[in-house]
Amino acid sequence: MRTQTDADEPAVETESATEAESTRESPVIRIDGLTKRYGDVTANDDVTFDVYSGEIFGYLGPNGAGKTTTIRLLLGLIKPTAGTAEVLGADIRDRRALTEAKSAVGYLPDTLGFEERLTGRQVLDYFARMRGDERRAELLDLFHPPLEKPVETYSHGNKRMLGIVQAFMHDPDLIILDEPTSGLDPLKQDRMHAFLEAERDAGKTIFFSSHVLSEVQRICDRVGIIREGGLVALEDIDDLLKRSGKQVRVQLAEPVDEAAFVTEEMIDVETVDRTVRFTYTGESSALLEHLVEFEIEDVDIGDPQLDDIFKHYYGDDTSSEGG
Amino acid sequence: MTAILRAESRQLTRSSIVLTGLLGLLLAFVLAVFPGFAEEAELIEEAFPPVLLGLLGIEEIHTIEGFVGGYVFSIVWLLFAGIYFAYVSAGMIVDDIRTRRMDLLLSTPVSRESVVLQKVAALWVPLVALHVGLFAVLYVGIQVISETLDPATLVLAHLLTVPYLLVCAGIGIVLSVVLERVETAQAAAPALVFVLWLVDGLTHMDQDFEWIGAITPSRYFDPGAILVHEEYAFTDAGVLLAAFLVLLAIAIVVFVRRDI
Repeated sequence: MRTQTDADEPAVETESATEAESTRESPVIRIDGLTKRYGDVTANDDVTFDVYSGEIFGYLGPNGAGKTTTIRLLLGLIKPTAGTAEVLGADIRDRRALTEAKSAVGYLPDTLGFEERLTGRQVLDYFARMRGDERRAELLDLFHPPLEKPVETYSHGNKRMLGIVQAFMHDPDLIILDEPTSGLDPLKQDRMHAFLEAERDAGKTIFFSSHVLSEVQRICDRVGIIREGGLVALEDIDDLLKRSGKQVRVQLAEPVDEAAFVTEEMIDVETVDRTVRFTYTGESSALLEHLVEFEIEDVDIGDPQLDDIFKHYYGDDTSSEGG
Repeated sequence: MTAILRAESRQLTRSSIVLTGLLGLLLAFVLAVFPGFAEEAELIEEAFPPVLLGLLGIEEIHTIEGFVGGYVFSIVWLLFAGIYFAYVSAGMIVDDIRTRRMDLLLSTPVSRESVVLQKVAALWVPLVALHVGLFAVLYVGIQVISETLDPATLVLAHLLTVPYLLVCAGIGIVLSVVLERVETAQAAAPALVFVLWLVDGLTHMDQDFEWIGAITPSRYFDPGAILVHEEYAFTDAGVLLAAFLVLLAIAIVVFVRRDI
């Protein structure tokens, strides 16, 4: 049994969590040289990594990088050209074993295909018959799609909430989420993030694909970054945070004195008259303390684009051909 | 695990009832004109181009047996119902793949074999609806126009359409796992059933080409022979059932191997 991690006191708990993870035995997902080619296009190129029990693993990459391909390979929807993977101990090439393992897997696809004429309740009834629904009521307290209406009248966000309930209601051990928060309003996104953390603390394993860096930074424990079909990085989220930084634009009241303004944590500094743009790699609070020493008209702090991170930290030798 | 069967059955209910209603209406109309038609049957039989007589397998059209066998069964069951079964089955897999419903479905602990089998099994709905509905219309209609037709023979004629309709469904389901587009599959399957029906009728008339008709499913179901001559070709029904099982097996093998 793992101890509950309290968000207010991360330091001690995280240590024991790390300890627990270092003694972890067999991974929940083991991906080994997974390759999928469509003619000349390589959608997944020799992807190798493991996902362990009780972690939120972020699978990060720009759109079209091959995230969905990996997920569809893991679920046996498509077959690998080379390499293999294990999901809950079942080899994805062993159809029978994989089918059995799926009773403990929840899946939220990027594009939700529901029978449009059915109501939300009927859709949930359908999936309940396939694999159970012991947590349905609890989930519907958190996420409330309009159950009595046909799915064809649903907004994007409502559809996604129905998908979330569907993915978790049979209390799976492993949940695979493909861009789970797209279409959700910020409030629901926060609720989803809090829910995922609680699930993780309860021992569930969450595989979370996203193209939004900030989201992955917020909730994931480890991250794998995929680009043009290949895994380019695999690291703890703290390391990624150190590398990625914040994109900052500051407009000062007077022209900038670079020598006084620029600190060590600022990289890629661009100054135009009274405006400074830079990437800040330190703590947000330190940055704010630093900024109040100047007379400032406007500040804009945002997440860097994924592409910028790739450019800065993983090299950009291959021109962006898409994938 | 019968969740898919239940869901598919529910989905087929509406279209099955609508089709049964429409074909029932058509049947009632055709039966209503039969008394007048029978009086002039000889004239009509002479006036009919032989091609058409051969195509529909019409014989003894002035008797209710010949009329039901040649008209009702040839057109309503062989053609219309056959096309419906091919059309419905053709959408079963490819539509779910295109709309990404199959992704969610196959993320549950259900095998691909089971998906195909449960979907095809849901065809019990149109089978039962059409047979019960159309038998009732036919039986009552025949009484109303004061004709008699042995109900046992009629029941058997109905039952012997089942293997034929299953083959039509088999054609549909194979196209549904092979083709990539819903529209293509749902156009190709009914078109194929129609062409096979046409080929059977046309080759039937020419001794030199009759062998070609041996590959058509309608060659193995002769409602005229059942109703007029009380000849029940159980071997032919067996051939159709075997063909259906082969088509179903092909569909399963292809679907299990393919990416979705």
